[in-house]
Amino acid sequence: MSRPKNKARASAAESTTIVSMRLYIAGSAPNSRQAIANLEAICREHLKGLYKLEIVDILEQPLRALTDGVLVTPSLNKVSPGPIAKIVGNLSDEGKVLLALGIKKPTA
Amino acid sequence: MNPAANLAPLPVTGDRSRAALDKVILRLVKGGPERAAIAAGQVDAVMDAKTGKVILFPEARRALEERESQLHDLVELAADWIWQQDEHFRFAARSGAAVSESGLEDADVIGRTLWELPFDNMSAADWQTHRNQLEWRSSFRDLELRYVDRNDNLRYVSMNGAPVFDEQDHFRGYRGTARDITTRKYSEAVLQAADRDARSALDALPIEISVLDAAGTVLMANTACNRPTIEGSRLGAAACVGVNYLALCDNATGNERADASAIANGIRNALAGDGQHFTHEYPCDSPGGQTWYVLNVRGYRDDGRTRAVMSREAITDRKRAEQLLGLDFTATSAVPWTGCEPTNRVSVANRLLAALPYAEYTRLLSGMEPVLLPRGQLLHAAGAPIRHVYFPINGLVAVLATAAPNRTVEADIVGQDGMIGISVALGIDISPVRSLVQSAGTAMRMGAADFRKQLLMNAPLQRILNRYAHAMIVQLAQAAACNSSHDLNSRLARWLLVAFERGQCTELRITQGLMAQMLGVRRVAISGAAGVLQRRNLIDCQRGTVQLLNRRGLEKAACSCYRIIKDRPL
Repeated sequence: MSRPKNKARASAAESTTIVSMRLYIAGSAPNSRQAIANLEAICREHLKGLYKLEIVDILEQPLRALTDGVLVTPSLNKVSPGPIAKIVGNLSDEGKVLLALGIKKPTA
Repeated sequence: MNPAANLAPLPVTGDRSRAALDKVILRLVKGGPERAAIAAGQVDAVMDAKTGKVILFPEARRALEERESQLHDLVELAADWIWQQDEHFRFAARSGAAVSESGLEDADVIGRTLWELPFDNMSAADWQTHRNQLEWRSSFRDLELRYVDRNDNLRYVSMNGAPVFDEQDHFRGYRGTARDITTRKYSEAVLQAADRDARSALDALPIEISVLDAAGTVLMANTACNRPTIEGSRLGAAACVGVNYLALCDNATGNERADASAIANGIRNALAGDGQHFTHEYPCDSPGGQTWYVLNVRGYRDDGRTRAVMSREAITDRKRAEQLLGLDFTATSAVPWTGCEPTNRVSVANRLLAALPYAEYTRLLSGMEPVLLPRGQLLHAAGAPIRHVYFPINGLVAVLATAAPNRTVEADIVGQDGMIGISVALGIDISPVRSLVQSAGTAMRMGAADFRKQLLMNAPLQRILNRYAHAMIVQLAQAAACNSSHDLNSRLARWLLVAFERGQCTELRITQGLMAQMLGVRRVAISGAAGVLQRRNLIDCQRGTVQLLNRRGLEKAACSCYRIIKDRPL
């Protein structure tokens, strides 16, 4: 009984807040392209337009990545709503990404 | 994105061996998740926080280089030649399949800026704009340049360019592509010349001309169509490119509905049959009076597609002239319905003017002018000074008293039997009531000041107007009595009879809502009363019009007040 309840609460939170994220990539390198594709798919399915995504290419704006404390690309920063979260890699593990973005609550 | 922008050198350090790279990673990356991602091969690059440089992993570097060379190939395919300039905008290199055919020798180009080359279509100001663009380091697209090649042929080249920066973000010059567009330019010029001639001929015409496609959407409209539209009138609007004219006609409301549906039908027929011709004349109500148009539509086929050419011309002046001619005719030769015409005078259809002796009439006439009364025109506003007095010749004017800020009730209805602005004759210059043209017609008009002067020296006019004022008092008293004691059916019958009589017509253009306003009752009550009269075959109510079928029957249905009002003495 508790699961559907959780789901309902999660989707209610989804429908009101806009998730703002920043994805750091290195040009059109394979993992970076993969990360963009994976993230777009996740956003389309779970956020349904309620998100803001900024893509920063560290080859064009290396200083931007440095000031944001990003050392490894591709990596994704959730900016808002808090708590901020960071996930590294090509975002192929959907479960981990959803967890980091706060869309899915960790199962106890 | 400009493909040339991808040719910029990448801010990365040189190749390293895998072992050296692993060492660097150990030094730079401390976090567990980061290291796990690197081990899983999910990472493309690592930043060196000390130097601010990006260290690309070998796989990523290979992929980027591969992509770069692919892009380079594509750029070469898309352009005739590609070029590179140094930081002083001097050409440093050119390459590509069509460099040799460009008609510009390498020796003439290399080491020179674009504005030092023999292009002849750019003014000094144009070059200054371009140089400002370069100083701002912005990319440029489709810069079209003309020159004469070695064989004395006129050639055109289109240039795109984007700035290049090195890893320290220092400007290193421009790169870009060039494409020969001579053939395109020539064919464009030929087409444009023909098109321009036809277009300027169309634009010079004062008539609105537009072309509709099979669905009724306006494809083209000449400059005459750009005139300002008439507020609140759909049919008054000229055809604008992109608007569906059929939909515009189909959505017309109110008075315009009949004309709009006739026009929509005409356009549909013209589109259905090749060479079908349709013409229609119609009025549009506008704040300054009615505007008349004649619309012509002819269908044709162009390349197998159905089209219709539509022309529209304002013919208000012609229509007005026609109506004024009719007015002159009415004013000079029609027999007044009073039938008491002196043998030696030109008669008029207004009963008050007709009752004047000839000498007084002609004196009064010299200060008068004939005017049209379009339906809905406000002659006098309540509480406003009276500028003109009107003697209607045909049509009907409703005189309305204000009952509440937004509610008016009819006090009187005036046709060719009376005048509008009787207050002036009684020495009052402010209109106590609102006078609104109910049914379009014509009238003789006179300035209020002139009229007062005439009144002083025209005793017969005074006498007639005194009697008219008295008749109005009788009528108003009777109407007040009638409204409070008779039922609505007989009051409506009485009102309609008076309106038909004063308008000298058997058909009134009036809505039930307005009739309700006139009689000071609710609209529902009017529909009921009109229904009763209609069932007795006395009148016929269609959408917005009332037709008289049986005058005698209607007189019987009306209350006795009708006789008293009708026979008001003059």
